[in-house]
Amino acid sequence: MTVETPCPETCPELGIEVQVSEIDKELRKLWEQDEARTNASLINLVVYSEKPGSLVENSAIIRNLTVDHACRAILVEINPEVPDPTLRAWITAHCHLSNGRKSVCCEQIAFHLTGRVTGRFRNTVFSHLNSDLPLVFWWQGELSGILTERLVSVMDRLIVDSSNWADPAASFRLIEEAAQANSDLILQDHEWTRTWQFRLGVAGLFDNPAMQEALPVIDAVEICHHPKNRNAALMLLAWLAVQAGWKDRTPGGYAEFETGAGSVIRVTLAEDDRGPALVSLTVRAGDRAIRVRQRPGGDHVERWVETELCHLSSLSPADPTSDEALVGLQLNRGGQTSLFRKILPRFRRMLEANA
Amino acid sequence: MNPFREDLVARSLPEPCTVVIFGATGDLTHRKLVPALYNLAVDGELPTGVKIVGFARRDKSDGEFRDGLEKINRKVSRSGHDERVWAPFVENVFYHRSEFADADGYRRLAERLDAIDAEGGGKGNRLFYIASAPEYFDDILIQLKEAGLNQAAEGCWSRVIVEKPFGTDLATAAHLNEVVNATFEENSTYRIDHYLGKETAQNLMVLRFANAIFEPLWNSKHISHVQVTCAENLGMEGGRGGYYDKSGALRDMVQNHLLQLLSLVAMEPPTDLTADGVRDEKVKVIRSLRQWDTPEKVAENVVRAQYVAGHVDGEPVPGYRDEDRVDPESETEAYVALRLMIDTWRWSGVPFYIRMGKRLPKKSTEISVHFKDAPCVLFNSCGVGSPGGNVLVIRIQPDEGISLRMVSKIPGNSLRLEPVKMDFHYDTSFGKTSPEAYERLLLDAIAGDATLFARRDEVEEAWKFIDHIERAWHESETAPPMEEYVAGSWGPREADRLLARDGNVWRRL
Repeated sequence: MTVETPCPETCPELGIEVQVSEIDKELRKLWEQDEARTNASLINLVVYSEKPGSLVENSAIIRNLTVDHACRAILVEINPEVPDPTLRAWITAHCHLSNGRKSVCCEQIAFHLTGRVTGRFRNTVFSHLNSDLPLVFWWQGELSGILTERLVSVMDRLIVDSSNWADPAASFRLIEEAAQANSDLILQDHEWTRTWQFRLGVAGLFDNPAMQEALPVIDAVEICHHPKNRNAALMLLAWLAVQAGWKDRTPGGYAEFETGAGSVIRVTLAEDDRGPALVSLTVRAGDRAIRVRQRPGGDHVERWVETELCHLSSLSPADPTSDEALVGLQLNRGGQTSLFRKILPRFRRMLEANA
Repeated sequence: MNPFREDLVARSLPEPCTVVIFGATGDLTHRKLVPALYNLAVDGELPTGVKIVGFARRDKSDGEFRDGLEKINRKVSRSGHDERVWAPFVENVFYHRSEFADADGYRRLAERLDAIDAEGGGKGNRLFYIASAPEYFDDILIQLKEAGLNQAAEGCWSRVIVEKPFGTDLATAAHLNEVVNATFEENSTYRIDHYLGKETAQNLMVLRFANAIFEPLWNSKHISHVQVTCAENLGMEGGRGGYYDKSGALRDMVQNHLLQLLSLVAMEPPTDLTADGVRDEKVKVIRSLRQWDTPEKVAENVVRAQYVAGHVDGEPVPGYRDEDRVDPESETEAYVALRLMIDTWRWSGVPFYIRMGKRLPKKSTEISVHFKDAPCVLFNSCGVGSPGGNVLVIRIQPDEGISLRMVSKIPGNSLRLEPVKMDFHYDTSFGKTSPEAYERLLLDAIAGDATLFARRDEVEEAWKFIDHIERAWHESETAPPMEEYVAGSWGPREADRLLARDGNVWRRL
């Protein structure tokens, strides 16, 4: 078996390799080297991955993220395939000019672990958190048994991307179980973040009085999405159903809903592998319709409303596509994600019914 | 009720409307208002279906008006100029030519607004923004009423935003309020003070009431005094001398912006965060200001001054009376410093010092809360060389943020104490740039949230206080003198003495 190591010998991207027991001491030395720098940190950001070579990739992401989000970054790459337990650590600082004058820096500690790691990983991370600052945990890729209740209990925010999961229904169950001891945990899914501008668009278009009147007689919803982003499409659908009070026609099913006034809504999901995560959403009520669309490669979302009286359109910025920008957006927005909590049960019923 | 709005944004919901701007050919419209609406569109915050109608006296077509706006927007827009956003945005911008007092012009405006609504599926919501010169305020409001534009159709709203100056004294403000309230209900009237739209000003309430550590200390037991400084390094460039010489620092800045900031610092916790809940508490502060109602009391507590020629940023600058469009014998103050007392239980004995000046060394607006010194025991041997008390500084502009000064031991074997600063900067702490004040305020007005706008009683109470000082300066036989300071300095010595009397000094900015 070939074992990929993060940095065979030297690794300038990750900084200086240090003994784990010397991390704090070495970090202090780092600051002593240049007194002009300011150490800034508003959160602890742990980035976890089991993908070989992820440390270097994630270090580049953190370099960009820290321009806007001062944090102590802890990068973790785990290779559980290698039986021998090893642990290597690197430290560096990402520095950026503030107003062209001061240099504001954020610390980064990178760990590479092999072997049985559950307990060692948890202790290693816990002992290097900045005290009093919230812990944002960005889990990349499939969930694994390392996501235990004890680990989740110290998190303030867990960021995942369910588009990477082979079995989203099972993964959401795993999170639910692990989060039992932490009812304050804020869960953020990139797939939900990818629906943001579409939701804003729908909300804005339903400000139109003609569309508000049409709410009880909506008869069709059409969503086109990238094949990889079915969860985003289902989350958007679950949000529409929850907010508008649509009832399921079949338990957990999403082919048809019913409005409070008894109108049957037919749902069509289509895929477009050339498009962005969400390509378009159309909601029809007789001859009235709203439509939100993002063209392939486009950086704006187009909004239309068509009624007997008028045809209006406007643009809004598209949601970001890179993981880095999605995390940035989630950190920007903060908050309790109460709306996501609200739609999650409906979305999960849709997932379970179609698992 | 739109169910898809729920929980989407933590604020009141802006609804589609038509924004009619009076004084549409002016600087404010081109440099602030339209770029603010455009930036809201860039951020996706402007509701679909918002239209803008510029109302002014010059002859212009829609196209010429749009071209002029585009030219300036390219220069000043916070988020740059994106043709893909601008093109659909500007399609909804129109120009309406009329004299401000021409009844027929308003009848045509009403017809045009109805046509725009019919064509664009608009519901009939209207926001009138009076950004014209103040002498036209009356005409505009009276004509809006005559044309029935103050009355909204059923289920819709009609609101008015009035720009400063809101009067020049209590009498003119009260008159303007009468005219406004004869046309629009008070809850549909939005008196704009752009300082309240700034991020740090909004954060003042959060700082005080969302952090448990501050409120217990926020009183005369722990606070020695408070300073509010608004320093400008500019003078009367760009022809502003004409306006400023009729107004002066006290009326131009203190009556509105600085008293609003003061009231946010000194107010009691509101019972709720509704517009009236907050404004009820703010107006109590203004009402509790001890009135300096004789020339002697004014002389004792207020210093006014004009600058003489000096240097700012290394460049020679003229004295105030030699500035463009300023009367060479002007008696208008370019600098004012006030010592205020708020007669409430909380602030008994705590002086609040306000200073505002032109041609000071740098541009800076901030509030500093000076806490009392620790007792003179243990580390704090009082007297010469003592490191001073804690100071909480709230920077309004530029470089918005908050800092806290405290005392720390200098590393070493001896015990030496020095002040150190804990600093929070908005721009390095949060990933997004703060919106311009006008963006926030326009969106609030569209959403019907008046919290950051001044209410009638706030404006009138503030003028009542200011009028005493103006009368002492301009109508009294024993008027306090006009002091002088060198341009580029921090103001006249008399302003320093104002604080020295209480054993305080101005904070060095």
